[in-house]
Amino acid sequence: MDSEDPQERPDGINSIINGLERYNPEAVPNLEDYVRHQCENRYTDSNANRTLLKLYQLNPDRVKDEVITNILVKALTCFPSPQFSLALHLIPPSVLAPANTRNEELPEAVAKLRLLNDQLQGAQYARFWATLDSDDLYADLITDVDGFEELVRARIATLVSHAYREIDLPILEQWLGMDGDAAHKFITEKAGWTVDGGLVKIPKNPENEAKKSEVREDVNVEMFSRVIRRAWEETA
Amino acid sequence: MEPSPSPPPPSPPLRQLCVSNQSFTMSGLRNGAAPVRTMEDDSDVEEEALVADYKEQVQYEDGMEDLERVSSLTMAQQADDIQSKLVAAAQPLDFSAPLEVKFQSYDSYCNLFHYILNSDGPVDLEPPSHYWAWDVIDEFIYQFNSFSSYRLRLARQARDNEEERQILRDNPNTWGCYSVLNVLYSLIQRSQISEQLAAMKRNEDPAAVAGEYGSKTLYRMLGYFSIIGLLRVHCLLGDFSLALKTLDDIELNKKAMFARVMAAHFTTYYYVGFSYMMMHRYADAIRMFSHILVYVSRTKNFQKNAQYDSITKKNDQMYALIAICVSFHPTRLDDTIHTALREKYGDQLLKLQRGGPESLPIFEELFRAACPKFISPVPPDFDNPEANVDPIDHHLSIFMDEVKTNMWSPTVKSYLRLYTTMDLKKLAGFLEVQPEELRSLLLVNKQRTKQLRWTDQALLEGEWVNVSDLDYALQGDLIHISEAKVGRKLVDWYLRNLSRTYN
Repeated sequence: MDSEDPQERPDGINSIINGLERYNPEAVPNLEDYVRHQCENRYTDSNANRTLLKLYQLNPDRVKDEVITNILVKALTCFPSPQFSLALHLIPPSVLAPANTRNEELPEAVAKLRLLNDQLQGAQYARFWATLDSDDLYADLITDVDGFEELVRARIATLVSHAYREIDLPILEQWLGMDGDAAHKFITEKAGWTVDGGLVKIPKNPENEAKKSEVREDVNVEMFSRVIRRAWEETA
Repeated sequence: MEPSPSPPPPSPPLRQLCVSNQSFTMSGLRNGAAPVRTMEDDSDVEEEALVADYKEQVQYEDGMEDLERVSSLTMAQQADDIQSKLVAAAQPLDFSAPLEVKFQSYDSYCNLFHYILNSDGPVDLEPPSHYWAWDVIDEFIYQFNSFSSYRLRLARQARDNEEERQILRDNPNTWGCYSVLNVLYSLIQRSQISEQLAAMKRNEDPAAVAGEYGSKTLYRMLGYFSIIGLLRVHCLLGDFSLALKTLDDIELNKKAMFARVMAAHFTTYYYVGFSYMMMHRYADAIRMFSHILVYVSRTKNFQKNAQYDSITKKNDQMYALIAICVSFHPTRLDDTIHTALREKYGDQLLKLQRGGPESLPIFEELFRAACPKFISPVPPDFDNPEANVDPIDHHLSIFMDEVKTNMWSPTVKSYLRLYTTMDLKKLAGFLEVQPEELRSLLLVNKQRTKQLRWTDQALLEGEWVNVSDLDYALQGDLIHISEAKVGRKLVDWYLRNLSRTYN
């Protein structure tokens, strides 16, 4: 999954973000439509979304709060990559300032999403699901992003498979934010792992092997040619 | 504020440029997408050439001082003399210059760039020196930067200086982002520099694509350093990946044109390294900082005091950034760097490497001291002083989220190193955390050992590699740990002994 420059990106968007069009406020509607397309079709184009945030940055009158939050929610699904913080850097701090009387909703929404991001980045998955359930505002924030929970769950499963060979079922269930039959179905069908009593077995992969390795230096004479040549030149 | 800020008449708004000149789509950037880059470019010959070049520059400096005195005398008499305008454009503006002078300076830059860009055909001018183009772009961005900071400071202090505040409020587009970006992009476009660099990468003659503007030194140099300028501006605005993308056409090596101007060389590596750091690519950031710091320490002897002073500050900043990056990503540093780092930031480094909440204030302190002076992209809100957040606070707080996520990694790693297998609950007992917390910490640390690392493509590309010598996997609550063994450092050993035999 490439969330930086995905294959799904149409040519029109490509020419906007790679050309000077990226500074043209007229490109805003196109990029906004594109965000909507990403939300509906379960892929993320962080590069294009940052282009839109940049246009918002330079043209604050164009800012649409719900587009900003949708971009951030999409970026959340790309953890543990830095997409969320890269997007956050482009949101004007004045928009996020609590003292900003013009707009109280956006700072609150962004603060809430930032909490979710901290939990995902910090691999506190059980806490993440609890937070998501704790406030109706979260439901509103993720409503436009189709399959948000599934996308996050799939990411968690991938990351778990990188670190674990076996994991206790109850722990995994908490991390996936589901239990019972639903969890069993996800683990065996989606992830393709086996459940053995209270234990989930994850097949071997290059990441969860933790193989021993040795760092060696291969040395050959050419590597010293400069030193040797210089010594010869100096004495000559 | 007007929805579409447009700079004063001289330079056409960027937007107009995009719409009216469709051919400028930077498609040239993509032509040489995956060139084979030669890595072995640091032959002795080239180093010597650089050094010679360097000495020459330093001597130039001497000459310049006299020249300046003369030109400031004659300036009044020959106000129209374009050559003296060129020289003036590269002169630093006094930090405490009154607002009026800052406005005037903006106007004269606009006039100069307008003259260079929009005259009937390329203007027939020779740059006063070979580093003039760098100085102009550098000074232009510096003034943009300090103007923005000054404006923000005034907006945050509602009490005094009502007069200046009113002037700034009435002129939101002076030193505006769009104008500055417009100048830099226009210079790049006019000079066809991207096309020229792409041709050079393909080992073709750049003159064939240079066009009537780009074949002139003045335009080529201005275009080239505008690319470096863009890197800087994007970074100042918090767009770190675009900053790195900007350098797609420039090869970072000693042959690069920027390497001929020390300040440019230095600035480029600082901003590239910083952008990498903000993208959590610590291995790459360290590589960038180390490269330039080693270079500086080698050429220290030729550097005249004045020029050296100006880079000393950035030098220290880069050591601070290296300290931050190594604590995220422990690695073996070049001996010179390691020694200097311990000298300058020994205490801080120790605290950073220990991690935990006590390290947080040190991260903040070093970041504040070493980050660029970030710019807010839009004019501040003068009616609402509290709403104007210092952009440094904004970027720092985002960066600190990442610091907090990783702050326990050093502790966890130091324990793991002691065992080949370990029970998670037992380790949690040692660390005095709940098993659930430790599971998260282990996952975080594991995820961070995978980093995108540059190999030989564009700066943004790279390969996913394991950057740590420590790896582990969990089987239930049992942690299997493996540490990469580092064999003898043979090359070092041979080099040391070889040099001993010569002496």
